[in-house]
Amino acid sequence: MHPAFSVLVFTVMSGAGYGLTTLMVLGHLSGLSQLQDSTVLLSGGVLSFLLISVGLLSSTLHLANPKNAWRSFSRFKTSWLSREAVFAVLYYPFLLIYLAGIWMNGAEIGGVFLLAGIIAAVLAMVTLFCTSMIYASLKTIRQWNSSLTPVNYIALGLMSGSLLLATVQAVVSGDLSSALQQLALGLLVLGAVVKVIYLFWIGKPAGSTINTATGFTQASVRLLDQGHSSNGFLNNEFGYTVAANKLVRLRLLMLVMAFVVPFLLLLVSSSVLTVVAALLVVAGLLVERWLFFAEARHVVRLFHGDQTV
Amino acid sequence: MSNLKSNLTLLESNYLNVDQSAVSTRNDNSGLPVFEDRDKQETKYTTCYMCACRCGIKVTVEDNKVRFIQGNPNHPVNKGVLCAKGNSGIMKQYSPAKLSSPLLRKPGTERGASEFEEISWEQALDILEKRLAHIRATDPKQLAYFTGRDQMQAFTGMWASQFGTINWAAHGGFCSVNMAAGGLYTMGHAFWEFGDPDWENTKYFMMWGVAEDHASNPIKLGLKRLKERGAKFVAINPVRTGYQAIADEWVAIRPGTDGILALSMAHVLLKNQLIDDEFLIRYTNSAQLVVNTPGEMGDGLFYRGPEKDGKPGQPQVWDLVKETFVDANLPDITPALFGSALEGVDLRTPEGKPLRTAMDIMVEKYMDDQYSPEVAAKECGVAAEDIERLALEMAHVAFKESITIDVEWTDWAGRKQDKFIGRPVSMHAMRGISAHSNGFQTCRAIHLLQVLLGTVDCPGGHLAKPPFPKHIPPGIKPAKEMAPNTPLKSPPLGFPTCPEDLVIDAEGKPLRIDKAYSWDAPISCHGLMHMVISNAVKGDPYKIDTLMLFMANMAWNSSMNTAQTLEMLCSKEDDGEYKIPFIVCSDAFNSEMVAYSDLVLPDTTYLERYDTISMLDRPISEPHAACDSVRIPVIKPDRDVVSWQEVMVEMAGRLGFPAFTDEEGGRKYDDYKDFIINFEKEPGIGFLAGYRGKDGDKSLRGEPNPRQWEAYEENEGFFEFELGMNQRYMRHANRDYLELAKEAGWIGSTEQIVIELYSEKLQTFRLAGQGLYDGPMPTEEHHKERLVEYFDPLPIYYMPLEEQRIDREEYPYHAVNQRPMFMYHSWDSQNAWLRQIMSQNYLYMNRVAAERDGIEDMSWVWVESHNGKIRAQVKLMEGTNEQTVWTWNAIGKRAGAWGLSEDANEATDGFLMNHLISELLPQKGDKIDRVTNSDPITGQAAWYDLRVKITPAAPGETGSWPHFGPLKPQPNAKPSPDMLSYTSHKNVNLLRTLSDILTRGEK
Amino acid sequence: MKLGLVVDIDSCVGCHGCATACKQWNTSGTIGPLSDKDPYGRDPNGAWLNRIRTYEVDDSPNSKTVHMPMSCMHCEDAACVTVCPTGASYKRTEDGIVLVDQDKCMGCNLCSWACPYGARELDPQAGTMKKCTLCIDRIYDEKLPEAERQPACVLTCPTKSRTFGDFDDPNSEVSKLVRERAGKQLMPELGYNPVNTYLPPRNKPVVEMYQPTSLKDTVKGWVNKVIAR
Ligand SMILES: Nc1nc2c(c(=O)[nH]1)N[C@H]1C(S)=C(S)[C@@H](COP(=O)(O)OP(=O)(O)OC[C@H]3O[C@@H](n4cnc5c(=O)[nH]c(N)nc54)[C@H](O)[C@@H]3O)O[C@H]1N2
Ligand SMILES: Nc1nc2c(c(=O)[nH]1)N[C@H]1C(S)=C(S)[C@@H](COP(=O)(O)OP(=O)(O)OC[C@H]3O[C@@H](n4cnc5c(=O)[nH]c(N)nc54)[C@H](O)[C@@H]3O)O[C@H]1N2
Ligand code: SF4
Ligand code: SF4
Ligand code: SF4
Ligand code: SF4
Ligand code: SF4
Ligand SMILES: [Mo]
Repeated sequence: MHPAFSVLVFTVMSGAGYGLTTLMVLGHLSGLSQLQDSTVLLSGGVLSFLLISVGLLSSTLHLANPKNAWRSFSRFKTSWLSREAVFAVLYYPFLLIYLAGIWMNGAEIGGVFLLAGIIAAVLAMVTLFCTSMIYASLKTIRQWNSSLTPVNYIALGLMSGSLLLATVQAVVSGDLSSALQQLALGLLVLGAVVKVIYLFWIGKPAGSTINTATGFTQASVRLLDQGHSSNGFLNNEFGYTVAANKLVRLRLLMLVMAFVVPFLLLLVSSSVLTVVAALLVVAGLLVERWLFFAEARHVVRLFHGDQTV
Repeated sequence: MSNLKSNLTLLESNYLNVDQSAVSTRNDNSGLPVFEDRDKQETKYTTCYMCACRCGIKVTVEDNKVRFIQGNPNHPVNKGVLCAKGNSGIMKQYSPAKLSSPLLRKPGTERGASEFEEISWEQALDILEKRLAHIRATDPKQLAYFTGRDQMQAFTGMWASQFGTINWAAHGGFCSVNMAAGGLYTMGHAFWEFGDPDWENTKYFMMWGVAEDHASNPIKLGLKRLKERGAKFVAINPVRTGYQAIADEWVAIRPGTDGILALSMAHVLLKNQLIDDEFLIRYTNSAQLVVNTPGEMGDGLFYRGPEKDGKPGQPQVWDLVKETFVDANLPDITPALFGSALEGVDLRTPEGKPLRTAMDIMVEKYMDDQYSPEVAAKECGVAAEDIERLALEMAHVAFKESITIDVEWTDWAGRKQDKFIGRPVSMHAMRGISAHSNGFQTCRAIHLLQVLLGTVDCPGGHLAKPPFPKHIPPGIKPAKEMAPNTPLKSPPLGFPTCPEDLVIDAEGKPLRIDKAYSWDAPISCHGLMHMVISNAVKGDPYKIDTLMLFMANMAWNSSMNTAQTLEMLCSKEDDGEYKIPFIVCSDAFNSEMVAYSDLVLPDTTYLERYDTISMLDRPISEPHAACDSVRIPVIKPDRDVVSWQEVMVEMAGRLGFPAFTDEEGGRKYDDYKDFIINFEKEPGIGFLAGYRGKDGDKSLRGEPNPRQWEAYEENEGFFEFELGMNQRYMRHANRDYLELAKEAGWIGSTEQIVIELYSEKLQTFRLAGQGLYDGPMPTEEHHKERLVEYFDPLPIYYMPLEEQRIDREEYPYHAVNQRPMFMYHSWDSQNAWLRQIMSQNYLYMNRVAAERDGIEDMSWVWVESHNGKIRAQVKLMEGTNEQTVWTWNAIGKRAGAWGLSEDANEATDGFLMNHLISELLPQKGDKIDRVTNSDPITGQAAWYDLRVKITPAAPGETGSWPHFGPLKPQPNAKPSPDMLSYTSHKNVNLLRTLSDILTRGEK
Repeated sequence: MKLGLVVDIDSCVGCHGCATACKQWNTSGTIGPLSDKDPYGRDPNGAWLNRIRTYEVDDSPNSKTVHMPMSCMHCEDAACVTVCPTGASYKRTEDGIVLVDQDKCMGCNLCSWACPYGARELDPQAGTMKKCTLCIDRIYDEKLPEAERQPACVLTCPTKSRTFGDFDDPNSEVSKLVRERAGKQLMPELGYNPVNTYLPPRNKPVVEMYQPTSLKDTVKGWVNKVIAR
């Protein structure tokens, strides 16, 4: 699939934002000491707000006819994209109420504000899940059509969120909380494991072939002519191909940037390096997301001559 | 163009942004809006001209914009269907390449620089009139007038005769004269547009070398009928695409060898005595007696009886009952088919010259081992057992599955017959056969097969289309004499039957600029358009003053050797004058040829003009009906253009052609429509055969009808005259038909048309080559050799001429072209829709062969012939003969032409094979160096004789080669838009209701 | 009703007539205009609703060429519809035709991602999704002659390889063809239940050979039949 930059930014940014919200609220409620500081909470909240908003805005950039974007709320019944839109918007008021509470009463909030926080945390995860389901629900792309996709999105969302949370905490309070450090380290490991499993899983051939696509299952089938000599919409959208060797390099880069190096940097438990680690993770996840699209092979490619997807 | 503009402005508000209620819903209960305002629309009938198939179309127009072009269901040719081109007429109409005013090359600029100034039609016509009037008054042959893919050859030919120049021809010489001549010199009709397989009855169909052909839609409709009826379809073709893709059997022959394949099948039939004796005796000349005195005058000619009352002596046959010679063409005689099988009869003329029947000669010739499947297989690459099987399958269908149609008919001699016997084997063949220098004889070889099986114009066989069949050959002789200001005595083109008919001077030098009807190509019935520029520039046989081209892209895809042709068009004398001083072209688009013309006369599009597809020409007849048709404008031109038809009539008037002026010397016709209605070739016969007579109630013959155009308009643009059931078969010997044909002026007499398996006419030329003819004889050695070699009175196979003169090891591959079904030569690259299907062509190659040669898929290669080299991109495939490479014809374009951007794929990556093909035979330093690369008999351009070598291009060598500087758009050209959204009205969107959106679940 | 097309691969010669007929009808039809980017420039690329693909099956020399026209299959389980967030994409309950409401589409491409058959193309000018409408603006139009209330591609096909009809009606032409010619769905394993069905190449007709009789080697062996001319 053609990796549209706007979509990469959207999924990574909002993913991190939602992860951050969820972890922060949880930490706050579970009374984690370093998270009882209103500055930390407000900064964290604002950061998620910005990340998610930037993400959502950039997601509208890949619409060819944005003037109808508002209509995307209307098919909640069946469309994961519609659901994502709805939840994404629902999330905002709750986050804002939660933050307002902290703004007014400091870290010790209760009642409505607390409830709002919990709902925001839940909606964050729900939205992230909807996003992942947009891809996971497509039978046409076997690399996506799996429960591993939501697991990836949520794990990586939480992972990046945890690093951002650590960063905020470290920057505000000067030194990194070991709890948050452990959380981040743990999620980095989890994220890495999940990603590696995914990479192995998409590696094994399965699904439709040029034979099932054309209905000639007894013999080899080769494309002679796709019916148009220049690339069309389908080629541009689905024809995206990366050279195998380039793939390997990018995968390594991704693992190193998004997981290994941040992990090592975090071990040092220095505020500065935490910030660097967080930035690396975000950058690394952009590569991860790019690969998520670039490695996804739509079945239409079979009609354009690919033997398998 | 202004239409196009307005379409573009339409984009801003494409949809009616109103909800259902605002769009008047229809009174039906479909709940759908009214999608278009039918009251504003108008439907008109005319004839498609996106190609030469001439399908009937029904055009829906709204405010002078085309809404929809569809097939006319009532039309005899296409019965409602349309091809990809026909469906893209809108984009032809709105092409930015359309010429919009007459153009004159700017003084001081060079040909090819495409520097033009717009001039008025008055100026343009005056310039032309002055030039032509002078030529006509001094030396008429100084005008060479040649036409391409037009369909008005009867008119342009007549115009040329009236002008008085013999230097006229249409595109037939580089197209398919081999098929036309092969048929007309054998059966009286032909594959090429003059005949069709009997799709409704045939049980076995063999297609030789056809990718698309002129009968584009009829063939497709026909193939479906075969499938529906379970008939077998065999395709003989080195490439398997299109038609061949749906064939039941694909025979991947090596190009140029069909002759040996056909004759080998004949060998098999003869060995098994599987021939239709009755058909041969009744309808062919195979029982006629041939003088057998090798090395003597008269050898190989028919033994003729004495002259009777002025009539030349008739060929003789031996009557088995009367046991004596009798006139061959009498009814009720019992001719001996095999003279050599006669007991105790030694056939000799009274003078003692030994005689053989034509059949004796055939049997002897084709039973020879050189025609055995084993030998043939080595040459054509088709397995011996397949050759044998195919022949025996056809024999089975012809003789064991024959059909009868119980209709009473009268034969040529007036005898009632109670049925038609059908041998349901049919064939079709085209340029895979004709575009080779052995094509004429190969075509005859295929006809030989058909005749041996008795499948000519019988139910299930190969049917003639009126006005064919004609007597063999048609009785017109090519004109020779010319005189200032005098029309020719006969048309420029005709059908020679002996050396006396050649168009040569006393020394035997060619009289025509294209050397047609000279010893180079004696039976070149369609001229040699592909030689005109080359000959004129060399001044061989002489120089000309003006070259007038209509609808021919001779500066690109229609010339052999295009690169050099471009140089020739620009080559000058020492005094700086161009070697071809003045070039006039009529074109509708900014083609490559336009850039090389001095005066350009912009034509209308096919949707903008009156035109006739005439019975005097190549009408749209079907086997069972005589048909012709017209074009009627459906769109008002938005440019300063005039149809070539009008220009011709106007010039004829201005130059005072006798046929176009009345007694007082005034204009006889005010315009083209007037001319078409009132011109009579002979009393009652005009360009249009339908709705004649004062009241339009006469068909085929009748006095002019002043309302004839209206009548055609009222009848959906065509005229169909159904033949009676008794007139539909065996028309070469069917009096019911022959009398009608004579009345209609299609043939001169009602005598039987005797099929000429043995061609005495060819033999006269051969005798001339042997020095045994009392008449014109060649003086040059190579001419003698060619006549002896190739003018065999019976079909033969010989290796194509280019192959004979090159090193076959050095050039291991045959290179041929195919017509893409969705493009018509150069016409359609400007078509915004069609060029999306293909704007780059590849060099297709067999995968196995390529792997052997280390050629990779999609790699760039050099393709080299004896004449030059090109660079092209390779595409590997399975369905191609291993010794063959091929590409789609005429996709490559000159940068800047056709309203395309300079970096259009057609120019940067598309390529033309023409650069590799020489108009002359491979150079060896002998006399033959100057001989045309054509069939030695008919002068048919030998496009597909081409042999090439293929080598990988160096790394970094990508893109097609050669390139020539970009051409400029025509002055005043509207810029080609970079976004196109054609619509003829505001599109009415079908809205989904909000409630449905909100309430609907998964299903 | 379950409307759709049957395409006969056995007789399709890949002429592209149906593709341009479709383009022609629909550019001024309800889904139109169908825009073309760089129509006269490099890599021209427009929105089409019907494309012809050509394949070679098996290896040379016993391979076969097949042409596959492909347009919207009007699937019974059309994920292209369920994924659409705006509701622009929908499947009509009356006849199963899958349509895109041009006024509501936001051009997110998701439906084209959900379509296995490449039946949806984004309009480069309007930025909305275009697809086969089964010529809904023809088939119900009582202002057209009865015989012409057919999709443009069906009317134009020179080899009559396309048939339009109601797959719910067992006696319809399409249902008969599917039965008699063992019609196939493409990529059935994805479970979209495409309505359009393809008729596979038929078995070749077998023609007997004329049983060779007495082989003759020379002209001598022949006998003259007494046949009156
Ligand atoms: N769509 C479309 N239709 C056209 C035209 C067009 O440009 N486009 N052009 C029109 C014109 S002017 C003409 S003349 C006709 C020509 O119509 P066709 O006769 O179909 O001409 P080609 O396309 O040249 O097809 C030649 C076929 O013969 C095969 N072939 C080549 N060499 C040999 C050989 O030695 N033996 C055999 N058996 N086969 C061989 C080629 O592979 C190809 O399939 O088409 C007319 N119709
Ligand atoms: N390599 C190779 N070359 C070939 C062939 C091949 O098989 N291989 N085939 C040959 C054959 S068979 C033929 S018939 C020729 C065909 O070649 P041509 O007869 O030259 O046909 P085109 O090149 O298609 O069209 C000639 C010109 O007609 C113009 N034209 C189109 N419509 C109109 C109109 O309405 N009015 C006027 N006045 N002009 C119009 C076009 O713009 C174009 O410039 O090509 C030959 N060239
Ligand atoms: S075959 Fe196609 S282009 Fe040719 S006349 Fe018929 S519809 Fe027009
Ligand atoms: S029009 Fe008919 S023959 Fe031509 S491509 Fe379409 S389906 Fe095939
Ligand atoms: S073919 Fe594609 S667009 Fe058409 S209904 Fe099926 S999934 Fe949807
Ligand atoms: S592109 Fe349009 S029709 Fe397709 S899913 Fe998006 S909004 Fe729906
Ligand atoms: S049914 Fe109509 S819209 Fe669909 S492919 Fe055919 S012509 Fe195009
Ligand atoms: Mo031609």
